[in-house]
Amino acid sequence: MALAYHTELYLFVFLPLVVLVYHFSSQKMRRAVLILAGYIFFWSFSQWLVGYLIAVSGLVYGAGRWMEQLKETGKARSKGLPSKERSAVKKQYKAKEKKVLIAGIVILLGILAYLKYCNFFIQNINRIFAASGSGFHLNPQNLLIPIGISFYTLEAIGYMADVYWGRIKAEHNFGKVALFLGFFPQIMEGPISSWNDTADALWECRPVRSENLTKGIIRIAWGLFKKIVVADRLSVLVAAIYDDYTSYHGVMIVVVAIAYTLQLYMEFSGCMDIVIGSGNLFGVDLPENFRQPFFAGNASEFWRRWHITLGAWLKAYVFYPVSVSGLVKKWNHFARKHVGKYLTKMGIFAMTLFPVWMCNGLWHGAQWNYILYGMYYFVILLAGEAVAPVREMVLERFHLDCHALYWRVPQILKTWMIIFTGEMFFRAEGAAAGFHMFRSIFQGFELQKLWDGTLLGMGLNAADFAAVGFGILIVAVADILKERKLLNWDKLQEMKLPVRWILYYGLIFAVLLLGAYGTGYQQVDLIYAGF
Amino acid sequence: METLLEILNDIDDTVNWEDETALIDDRILDSFGVISLISELEDQFEIEIDASEIVPENFNSADAMWKMIQRLQEN
Amino acid sequence: MQDFKQKMRTLKKPAVFLAIFLCLILILSAFFVNMAKKHPEFVQSRNRPWLNIQNEKKNSIDVLVLGDSESYTTFSPLEIWKQNGIASFVCGQTGQEVEETYYMLRRALRTQEPKVVVFETNSMFQPQNAAEGFSKTIAQTVNYYFPVFLLHSMWQNWLMGPEKQQVYYKGFVVRDIVEPYDGGSYMEKTERREYMSRAVRSYMDKMLAMCREKGISVILYSAPSPNNYNYAKHNTLTDYAEQNGAEYLDFNLMTEELGIDWEKDSLDNGDHLNVLGAEKLSRYFGSYLEEHYDLEDHRKDPEYSSWNEDVQKYQNAEKNAIRKIEVILEYLRKKKQK
Repeated sequence: MALAYHTELYLFVFLPLVVLVYHFSSQKMRRAVLILAGYIFFWSFSQWLVGYLIAVSGLVYGAGRWMEQLKETGKARSKGLPSKERSAVKKQYKAKEKKVLIAGIVILLGILAYLKYCNFFIQNINRIFAASGSGFHLNPQNLLIPIGISFYTLEAIGYMADVYWGRIKAEHNFGKVALFLGFFPQIMEGPISSWNDTADALWECRPVRSENLTKGIIRIAWGLFKKIVVADRLSVLVAAIYDDYTSYHGVMIVVVAIAYTLQLYMEFSGCMDIVIGSGNLFGVDLPENFRQPFFAGNASEFWRRWHITLGAWLKAYVFYPVSVSGLVKKWNHFARKHVGKYLTKMGIFAMTLFPVWMCNGLWHGAQWNYILYGMYYFVILLAGEAVAPVREMVLERFHLDCHALYWRVPQILKTWMIIFTGEMFFRAEGAAAGFHMFRSIFQGFELQKLWDGTLLGMGLNAADFAAVGFGILIVAVADILKERKLLNWDKLQEMKLPVRWILYYGLIFAVLLLGAYGTGYQQVDLIYAGF
Repeated sequence: METLLEILNDIDDTVNWEDETALIDDRILDSFGVISLISELEDQFEIEIDASEIVPENFNSADAMWKMIQRLQEN
Repeated sequence: MQDFKQKMRTLKKPAVFLAIFLCLILILSAFFVNMAKKHPEFVQSRNRPWLNIQNEKKNSIDVLVLGDSESYTTFSPLEIWKQNGIASFVCGQTGQEVEETYYMLRRALRTQEPKVVVFETNSMFQPQNAAEGFSKTIAQTVNYYFPVFLLHSMWQNWLMGPEKQQVYYKGFVVRDIVEPYDGGSYMEKTERREYMSRAVRSYMDKMLAMCREKGISVILYSAPSPNNYNYAKHNTLTDYAEQNGAEYLDFNLMTEELGIDWEKDSLDNGDHLNVLGAEKLSRYFGSYLEEHYDLEDHRKDPEYSSWNEDVQKYQNAEKNAIRKIEVILEYLRKKKQK
């Protein structure tokens, strides 16, 4: 992993170098510096495949310009015509635009699907033929996947759709599109931003300011704290159990499900902190990807707090378009007359949620456990909506306050169970392994394993557990403060300088002293970079 | 406008629909609310709501929704 | 120009922040090193050689050995002391990388003036691409100048009580287990040359140049290890030693001369040697050093009285280890008969 965000090479060489060069360049040059830095970053992982990123930029730039031209011609042609003909001409050009959009999407998704899912299909086809006893066999292909393809592909599609819908104007400067898709902090793990989120701020290339530098550095340190103090330790425990999952049951499976969820949160949100902090150095506020997910009262709220930008993308470009598609409209007309309002609504929800969660699962990769993961949330969210009337009734009947602690806390705990179970399947090697683990929870719980020393045989010693506990505590306190709106990144900036600096040094030294690096530890690759 | 308010009250009668101006931003209307609202609106006003119309600006207030409905009816 | 000044001014605050940070790091480093010297039991096993060589009496070591686990399981300074009275010391560590070796050597040369430096060659074949080499260089440079990074995990042993420590005898570790190697001969003659990465080569060059400058003789040696060595590596190392004016001893070609018995002397099926194998190799090495280099016999030297005490402890450990190995061999023999 060449220039991954948690490596010395990125943190102490690449990033400072880019900031310095950027700082001492003129505003116009800064744009070039950022674009070039993106391509160097990309090159360090995927070498000449950087051409793919440039090609994608070219494709969406061209598609945007083309759609714009069709819009304008349509407008010009329809000018002065009677209203009926006018709308006919407009429709004709809209249809042409749609063809361009669809062609663009098909190309991008086609390549993504080919690279990511080709081997999945080959494996499953082979499995089917093997089961049927035929000797037919396809060889899996050895494909090189450009780094971050799942992330900028979505951004590229979002850009084209926004132009098509007229939400944004097609960009005339190729460099701006290239920078939007190729800003190096975002390439590897997102956040998946929409054009309106980041394009202008990136292109502005604001001068470096010392507030932004300290803001960025501290955000990066915070991310490193989560990653190397907590996540990298938990990864040892998680790998020990998952690699040999058949040997464990009962409470140990519960432990690993919780440990993996925490690992994933610390690692992914920590990486996002490094990414957003890197953006801050250049005066850019990238969209947040996490908002205290463990305070969610239900699964749908969880997904508005966890990997936010993926959820937002799916909502904007899958959920809503499907909800106004012909099929849903037909169902709406038909069902209203025949099955009543409640079932009509449920039908619409099912029809719109299914593609969203199928896409969510598939986006993570072509493995049955990811598809299962998507379907798991599909069922849970649909069930949540299905029982909504009952919930309302209960709340009303007993005069309960849904914001009070007696209601919130059990809701949050219930959501935790849903999350832990989901992530347990997510990490499992295939769907069968996930089910096996889930079943084995109920085969001899053996609570005593928590304190009889079993946990110390998993590659972590008592001191490691102490560090993990301390790290989780600090992050939990920070999350509670953020949730209660007592603290946020801007408020931190307003504190008096000595207080602030002491906090900063404290954090940096916590990483330095407690971090799981050096003797006895191995650097752990970023999880989401694999998606 | 009357019909619109009726539909909205039907969805949730605890909300003061006429005065709220940040229905989406404050999450009074969530995504499920929006799509069930859309199906109602299409049915009642005989309009076609396109995906491009689903932006917060069109759904943040009853007023904005009404404007959108009128615009779509003209087409 | 005005613009440039303005730009420099922007960097003032971050620069102050970094300057204070650097000072804090230096203070902490001094504190950690001090703590390590006072409480060696808090230092993790792998870092012990780093500490131990600094605790040796100034200018007392004549032969310094570096390398990965192949070094400290084969070269026993106290065995050599017993036989030849040569003062040697092993700074080998599990999986020691060339970057670590380099800074270990520099650290050792701060307080010692060895006449001979010995490198075990296994670590010279670690695959390292340019990026890895670069990251490792950064990491080890930082460790060298700011030891707090190296010692940062000391709080663990301080908090939880010292872990079970590896016992080092002037850097040598007594291995008391046996798992025979039964793979047969492994040094098939070939003209092939094993690839040595550019990062490794440049570090080896640097270390050899440093020794040359200080008038220190260099020996490269390959410990007998069927799992790690072959003839292609032998060729590469022969070439390398020749080009750089270093001695090269490949014990893989001398197993008969040493009298290595793969039934008894192998620790883990041909990867490392146990104490029986180490004894044989060390005796040979001691005589070789005595014969070819002008090294003093310090056994009568009162300055070295502590070495004779260490030999007592070492011999006890050795005896226990050999007894344990014999028990295991007996068990294996019985199992075989069944």
